[in-house]
Amino acid sequence: MLIQEQMELQRKLEILSDAAKYDVSCTSSGVERKGKKGMLGNAVSAGLCHSFAADGRCISLLKILFTNQCIYDCRYCVNRRSNDVVRTAFTPDEVCTLTMEFYRRNYIEGLFLSSGILKSPDYTMDLIFQTLRKLRGECRFNGYIHVKAIPGADPVLIEQVGLLADRMSVNLELPTAQGLKSLAPSKSRSRILAPMRQIQKGIRLQRTEIVPRATGRRFVPAGQSTQMIVGATPESDYQMIKVAEALYRNYDLKRVFYSAFVRVNDDSSLPVLPGGPPLLREHRLYQADWLLRFYGFQADELLTEEQPHFNVLLDPKCDWALRHLEAFPVEINRADYSAILRVPGIGVKSAKRIVAARRGTALDFPDLKKMGVVLKRAFYFITCSGRMMAPVRIDQDYITRELVGEEKRRTWDISHGDTYRQLSMFDDGRLSPAPGSEDVRGAVLGQL
Amino acid sequence: MTIFVCRDTMAGILCGVYDAWMSRLGHGNVALELEDQGNMQMFCQYRQVEETEEKTEKVIRAVREKAGQEACEMIFRVSLSREEGKADRIYRFLVYALNSRRKITDMLQIPAVYEVFRIDRNVGNEAHQFIQFSRFSRTREGILVCTVRPKNDVIILMAPHFADRVPGEHWIIYDEGRNKAVVHKADEGWIVVWTDTDQWKENLTGSTDQKEFEELWKVFHRAVAITERTNYVCQRGHLPLWYRSHMTEF
Repeated sequence: MLIQEQMELQRKLEILSDAAKYDVSCTSSGVERKGKKGMLGNAVSAGLCHSFAADGRCISLLKILFTNQCIYDCRYCVNRRSNDVVRTAFTPDEVCTLTMEFYRRNYIEGLFLSSGILKSPDYTMDLIFQTLRKLRGECRFNGYIHVKAIPGADPVLIEQVGLLADRMSVNLELPTAQGLKSLAPSKSRSRILAPMRQIQKGIRLQRTEIVPRATGRRFVPAGQSTQMIVGATPESDYQMIKVAEALYRNYDLKRVFYSAFVRVNDDSSLPVLPGGPPLLREHRLYQADWLLRFYGFQADELLTEEQPHFNVLLDPKCDWALRHLEAFPVEINRADYSAILRVPGIGVKSAKRIVAARRGTALDFPDLKKMGVVLKRAFYFITCSGRMMAPVRIDQDYITRELVGEEKRRTWDISHGDTYRQLSMFDDGRLSPAPGSEDVRGAVLGQL
Repeated sequence: MTIFVCRDTMAGILCGVYDAWMSRLGHGNVALELEDQGNMQMFCQYRQVEETEEKTEKVIRAVREKAGQEACEMIFRVSLSREEGKADRIYRFLVYALNSRRKITDMLQIPAVYEVFRIDRNVGNEAHQFIQFSRFSRTREGILVCTVRPKNDVIILMAPHFADRVPGEHWIIYDEGRNKAVVHKADEGWIVVWTDTDQWKENLTGSTDQKEFEELWKVFHRAVAITERTNYVCQRGHLPLWYRSHMTEF
């Protein structure tokens, strides 16, 4: 392993942000905090994105590893022990300078600090703690901090870090214990879940406390999140969203992130994905995740053991609606909020606007368009004052065919990048090509 | 038709609303227009609006009492828009807002309300984008400066956010297109300054000496993208090209 002690800050930043980029949780949401005199920074509960990278992902936080040295040898990880890459580490001072100066120039919303495991989990967690203490104390930084809880670290250290950070996360990495065993032999599920449970208990306990803490700081105010890799192991979509649902219910997680597997290591135990990272699958999982968190869906409604994968051509909400046509059409002027929310093409915002606006007068289809409803998807499923927008057969095959025509284009765009094909008059399937020489030969010899 | 001509400010528009309303010609027979915009119409009488603080206050009080604080803030944001017809749109909105017993801002099915809602959303979204995408740099004197060229006049909406976030620094947000700036003094407040000369532009551009952190930021921005997932279309969707002219990393 090549470790360079003396290295320029710029080179370090390049290496350590490059090493951190596979972590997807780059949100700055979940906590609202006013600025304070003498300090730098505040936090906005909706979160802010300060830039977008070339891969279209938002850059909200300064996402870096403290060090990319690691004692573990996880198969999927670019920083694993057996990889021959340049290793380096920041000093707490360098992290503080970068964060403060970037923040002041409005480049970032805060710091995302993760780390490879140096020496031992305790040692690494302590380094992170020292950095945060310096940043919050000496530098008077009041912005957002997201930090990784290292599985296996001392609970006392995690508690201390939790009082300085806004959000903590422990990566689940793979949805099943079996998958974890095959790709990350030195990690175990119980060791990952232990800090998760501890953070959950800390947050819950604080809610019941009557006397605020002496420091005035709250424990992990923005909650915790986790991340799962999609497509590295053979788990189905059904297993993934069942795990996500369990995490939301039993561990009070704020977010579960899905990360399409990118094959960075040439390892025999990793799958080869000729089409690139499974981006469409990741997209469908995020869509389902939103349905779980904001639309009142359950994992078992979206998928079942018999149908464990999402429809490639239709989004999960349309797919559900088509399998439950008995619940439609929904009368916009009378149905309750939860029923309106389940109509494809109507989101949380437009459903709220509809419920607020219909108190005045009855709504019609042009009004719905103003409220942000996607009518080309919704109009199969709704009535306004008992009338449909156009005569529609409530028939699964018919509606599916109509919806897929529109959805197919977008699916194609997601999975095929931006390659387009010129539409030509001669692409029509009913036009058969002119007979070639082989056909002529076949006809002469009497073959069909 | 009688057209009331008002200045392009919140106070100007509100005085126009007051004059048009109190002229007692009937809502259908009056319209509001901004100064120096568009062509004059035939068969119309033009009247210049006279601005007084009293009129402005009366209208604001009426809106706040009858339509609520939310409607009041909405009108303020609409008055910052670049749309030419905004003065008349505000008037049509107030005709409903001051006569309605329900919460008027929810009634999007009324065209007059929808138009104001649409403009308000447009201005609000732009302010939000500029809060995210504006970049500061430090001058030799230690002042943080940021130059923007927004379509709507949003710097006044950006100021409270940065005043809360960076209270201990001197900073300036300068709107190139309108020659207008928000100036913040450390640990005190902020004010809006209009500038007529190009002196500002010269002082604020090219005098920064902190290339070091800008270079570091560019390195980070490049390194954090995953090559296998490159998707410029998605990037452009979230961060349209026209925002990038004043951003450090592009």
